[in-house]
Amino acid sequence: MNELDCTVCQTRLHGYLDHELDPATAADVAAHLAACPECARLHDEVKLLKVSVKRQAPYYPAPASLAASVFAAGAPATRAVERWQKWFAPTFSAAALALAAVLYVMTPGSEQPLMDEAVSSHVRSLMGEHLNDVVSSDRHTVKPWFTGKLDFSPPVFDYSAQGFPLLGGRLDYLQHQTTAALSYGRAKHIINVFILPVPEADKPRQTQTIRGFNVVSWQANHMRFVLVSDVEKSELEAFSQLLRDGA
Amino acid sequence: MKRFEDLIAPHLDAAYNLARWLTGNDAAARDVVQESALRAFRFLQRFADGNAKAWFLTIVRNESYTWLKASAGRHWVAFDDDIGDDEGALSHSQTPELLAIHTENAALIQQALCALPPVFREVIVLKELEDMPYKDIALVVDIPIGTVMSRLARGRAMLKLELLKLHDHE
Repeated sequence: MNELDCTVCQTRLHGYLDHELDPATAADVAAHLAACPECARLHDEVKLLKVSVKRQAPYYPAPASLAASVFAAGAPATRAVERWQKWFAPTFSAAALALAAVLYVMTPGSEQPLMDEAVSSHVRSLMGEHLNDVVSSDRHTVKPWFTGKLDFSPPVFDYSAQGFPLLGGRLDYLQHQTTAALSYGRAKHIINVFILPVPEADKPRQTQTIRGFNVVSWQANHMRFVLVSDVEKSELEAFSQLLRDGA
Repeated sequence: MKRFEDLIAPHLDAAYNLARWLTGNDAAARDVVQESALRAFRFLQRFADGNAKAWFLTIVRNESYTWLKASAGRHWVAFDDDIGDDEGALSHSQTPELLAIHTENAALIQQALCALPPVFREVIVLKELEDMPYKDIALVVDIPIGTVMSRLARGRAMLKLELLKLHDHE
């Protein structure tokens, strides 16, 4: 290990920790870290810094009033837009009305109770010892366990490499249906992933906060996915992206 | 207007978070996001397709810097802060424990982050708090992807020193 290797490694280990290196470079860095205590120490420090910034640094969400003023009718109601507004305000009101009507028709009434139930189930799963019926980080153990218990096949993958290890699975019951519930870890947090079959087509991702828990949901392949956790919204959304992309 | 809201609304939190970290105060962050939304709205036609988040955050970042320049003079553009100097002052043997203690303290983490020059603070915020990939950070900050990694390396090294420095002042 010469000096240059260490200098290069001390920059690259950041890409290594951020999962941004191609496999060959990552392997080089890993090999160097295994052999060089000095770089390994730096690696551990940076890892500690990353985790603590993620966990401790405040995230400042936009105040609700800001969203309201940005998107208020004729929203950016300053200067250049005023002319525009004169013309388009009526059109815009009509569009808003149409949008409201569409949303009203399209939003199934059953949506919100499902989310509430999912949050309650998440809370229940953390009480006592009922998180998992099958405890395993091996998807080839967890997935077959569901066979015969469900009439659909939920996707089961382990995301340890990305920092979301699979902890296990259990059967749950939401909206009068048997539901697959997978649990994943994120640092010390637990993420519950509820998967239930639905007749409707795909639906885009939605994020909301219910009783302080972040809830991300979407529909794909005739399955409804609902993620509930107390991890940060951005992390939960990143995790949902992993699930959507598959392994 | 519908398209505008579709594009911008999902990223309003990210926009405010970035502006808040860069400007350091709520009122300024509000103004910056308002102004950025106005700009985004005006240039909506020019945004073809692709990464709406990176596009909007680029505007927010520029607005934040405009605000910073107007409000604080130029001291903050410290690209070339020498970070090597203080390092010797701390013996290597005590840094790991110290660091472990300090990283548990949210107030210290915030204070240390705020002490970094904005160009380093912003990459850490975009990486750790927004979880953006390097290629998107490169778009927002307008630097090559390789520079994102080296800037994060510098930024994190500086963050570590700030955390250790805070201890000395306790």
